[in-house]
Amino acid sequence: MRLYLIVSASPSLCPGDNPQATHLPRAWAPLARPPPHGSRLTADLFSTNPGALKSPVSEQTTTPEDQRSPEDPLTPPPPAASLTPEPHNPGTPPDLFESVAEGPVVVQGGSPKLSSVPLDLPAGGNGGEGKQQDTSEPPVPPSSILPPMGAPLTPPVVPITPTATPSLTPNITPAAPTPVTPVAVARSSPEQAEGDGGDEFIQITVSDPQKIGDGMSSYMAYKVTTKTNVSYFRKKHWSVMRRFSDFLGLHRKLVEKHLHSGRVIPPAPEKSAIGTTKIKLGSDKNADSGSLDFIERRRAALERYMNRTSTHPTLRADPDFREFVELDAELPRATQTSALSSAGVLRLLNRVGETVNKMTFKMDESDQWFEERTQQIESLDAQLRKLHASMERLVNYRRELALSTAAFAKATAVLSSVEEHSSLSRALHQLSESTERTQTIHHAQADADFYVLSENTKDYIQLISAVKDVFHERVKTFQTWQHAQITLAKKREAKAKAELAGRMDKVQQAQEEVTEWEGKVERSQEEFERISRAIKKEMEQFDVMRVKDFRDMVIKYLEDLMTSQQQIIKVWETFIPEAKAIS
Amino acid sequence: MMDGMEDVLPSETNGTKSGRSDTVDLNDSTLQVDISDALSEREKVKFTVHTKTTLPDYAKPEFSVVRQHEEFIWLHDRFDENEDYAGYIIPPPPPRPDFDASREKLQKLGEGEGSMTKEEFSKMKQELEAEYLATFKKTVAMHEVFLTRLAQHTVFRNDHNFKVFLEYEQDLSVRTKNKKEKVEGLFKSFNKSTDEILLAATQKDVDDYFEREKTFLLEYHMAIKDATTKADKMTQAHKSVADSYIQLSSGLSQLGTIEGPRLEKFINKVADTFEKARKVEGRVSSDEDLKLSDTLRYYVRDGSAAKDLLYRRLRCLANYEQANKNLDRARAKNKDVHAPVDVADAELAQQNACEKFEHISNKAKEELNDLKARRVTAFKKNLIELAELELKHAKAQAQLLKSCLQSLPEE
Repeated sequence: MRLYLIVSASPSLCPGDNPQATHLPRAWAPLARPPPHGSRLTADLFSTNPGALKSPVSEQTTTPEDQRSPEDPLTPPPPAASLTPEPHNPGTPPDLFESVAEGPVVVQGGSPKLSSVPLDLPAGGNGGEGKQQDTSEPPVPPSSILPPMGAPLTPPVVPITPTATPSLTPNITPAAPTPVTPVAVARSSPEQAEGDGGDEFIQITVSDPQKIGDGMSSYMAYKVTTKTNVSYFRKKHWSVMRRFSDFLGLHRKLVEKHLHSGRVIPPAPEKSAIGTTKIKLGSDKNADSGSLDFIERRRAALERYMNRTSTHPTLRADPDFREFVELDAELPRATQTSALSSAGVLRLLNRVGETVNKMTFKMDESDQWFEERTQQIESLDAQLRKLHASMERLVNYRRELALSTAAFAKATAVLSSVEEHSSLSRALHQLSESTERTQTIHHAQADADFYVLSENTKDYIQLISAVKDVFHERVKTFQTWQHAQITLAKKREAKAKAELAGRMDKVQQAQEEVTEWEGKVERSQEEFERISRAIKKEMEQFDVMRVKDFRDMVIKYLEDLMTSQQQIIKVWETFIPEAKAIS
Repeated sequence: MMDGMEDVLPSETNGTKSGRSDTVDLNDSTLQVDISDALSEREKVKFTVHTKTTLPDYAKPEFSVVRQHEEFIWLHDRFDENEDYAGYIIPPPPPRPDFDASREKLQKLGEGEGSMTKEEFSKMKQELEAEYLATFKKTVAMHEVFLTRLAQHTVFRNDHNFKVFLEYEQDLSVRTKNKKEKVEGLFKSFNKSTDEILLAATQKDVDDYFEREKTFLLEYHMAIKDATTKADKMTQAHKSVADSYIQLSSGLSQLGTIEGPRLEKFINKVADTFEKARKVEGRVSSDEDLKLSDTLRYYVRDGSAAKDLLYRRLRCLANYEQANKNLDRARAKNKDVHAPVDVADAELAQQNACEKFEHISNKAKEELNDLKARRVTAFKKNLIELAELELKHAKAQAQLLKSCLQSLPEE
């Protein structure tokens, strides 16, 4: 029962789409990718209780069917497991982290089953919250949580399975296709994941954009270099190549896993059909400044994205994330990120549904804190957008200034060559060179305006959207709770009616239903409270980070501006004697 | 106005004055002209021309009259048409006072009032008003420069029309050209330019010096015109950058109020800095405009006037050669008959033409040299001033930013 309870308690496990469903909707979990995982558990699960987990059931996500039948949580998810990717054995928690299996392998059909169960969720918390399990007792691993993760569990890791009681479902067998090379990533114990080590340092740079392939099937690949002293990574310093859709795929997975726990997931850079097509179709030789600009923008955005994600301790420990930065081979194509895939379409539909939901449902906000924060977020959003618009204007004007200064420099050079008077001619020539130099300075400043100020502000606007999403998750949870309460009332009524009518058989059934719904109400209430707490904590951290980032950004910008001015000073200082020398 | 004008007087005036006094050996005080006041009324600008003189021809030693732009143009045209002055470079007329651009911007601002905050609106309005004032001052300065050049020119200062312009207290009743005259004017200038081109192609100059000068002037004129346009664009862009700081600054202060205590002080300091930086940038832009663009522009016009001079000379040369031919023909025709009348006429004509031509050539040589010297001095002065101002502003901005950065981390 327990298991069941837990499982159903988190509808959100499903990748997002079903906010309310009481049962897991794994159903549409995008097939290709490993089940969206129960993110929450990821880190937690494994940490700490390796032992507890012995249960063979690996965490695969329970298939919907499983969920429905609380009775046997343990039954290994139907062989449907073909999934295979799951194989990891729950037994080895550490391994689990790894893999986020390449998606394709996993899940096919359906539910990546995770037999979660036994995992004991150490409430560890990643993200410190461990809230996930408020209710879970150690013994019952929040398997529920597992399910979502299912996929992520490294398929490759499979070999690890050994620890787990093999008896478990075969799914565990790595057999799974895991395309991923069995990276033996030595996963350090998950415990470390939890620690929000104060001294942890991780820095990611994205560099060397390269075009791989040709024509429409080509893509841009970037080198992701990570420097870290965090223990659960294998090395201190290494690089991997990743393509753009990999980044998007990572973001999707993180959202699926963590959003409903109340975490703010840094948004990934957007897709741009035009820019990408231009690059795909253009040859290397013709890379004009427009597409170079686009590539540079994207590279910078990806770098900021990676760094923001890695500063978040929970996300950093997430297996998907870790695999992303560490796996030395190509990641399976994140086909769900493509707009036209079935998953993409589903996502779109869901998004539409959610928007309607947002607009129609007015939540009865009892918590003062949330009310204030929501308002503040809204006005921050509006104001940042305005600010961003004026920043863009500044960038444009400065670029124009650089261009017109360059034109002037050329005209002055011409003038100087025509001028007969020799010292005036020299002076004019000098003027032309000075202007040329100021032009370069202006141009560099415009770039600084752009990258430091404008793009960062844009990132913030997107982050605020992510925050709004998290708040909305909470609203959804509230809705679930309300819905459960209403249904409970109805069931109670039905039971009373049956009692009155004296239909004992019906009464029995009604009783069962009442109990069932009582449980649901309880769970959804817990869920609501949990997410509220999580959000509060998350927001605190977010605020701190945001303030710091903002200050850093402004300070850097002012420093750049000051350097520009100092350079201009030098230029004019060299010019003056020349001007004075005109005889 | 008067005080304001003093600061804004472009160095050209001073430059020209001092330049002139270097090259023209005259005592300035014999005839001093300036514009002591100016009033802007809707479409027109009324200038108060104030004269101080020790010359006997004038009725009073000191007097003022009110003139409008059209009257300045009338004066210029009188000089231009006068054949006696064919050998001189006629000072270029001042450009028409043009406030359209400012007016347009003011209008746009008014329309967009709803979309910005009160402070932003008032700041932008202030900026526009300052711009308007600057344009106004500039046009006053240009008119003044024109008059001063005339006053200091040895020959021009004695011109009758000039005297009338300075003294006549009534309105000169110079009506602006009506349509017909405008069209006529258009034709005339068209003819002149075709003639110019024709002459340039066909007429060979006897004097190498002038030939060279002509080529030089043409090239130079094009180059400097180009440079002026680009300089204008550059100063405009600079101004736009400065203006966009306004929005940035106010956007930031609003953000500060939303953010609350944590970031508020920080943001307000930054917003303040941007505001100050904007003022400096604005000044950079206007100084560039004044020192660089205006100098270039002035010399475009002066160069144009020089080209006119050369053209006149060339025309004169053509006439002279024509007269020679006529004389030869007359002589040839009348060889036998001895009709001295025709020949005499032709001789006379030829002699006149010859004199005229020589006169023009000499004067022209002087004028061109003078122009060169003036140009070099003016450029030198303005370039130095430009560089010094730019340096000053850049230092000011760097200092501003530095102090801001120092005060920030304190929080």
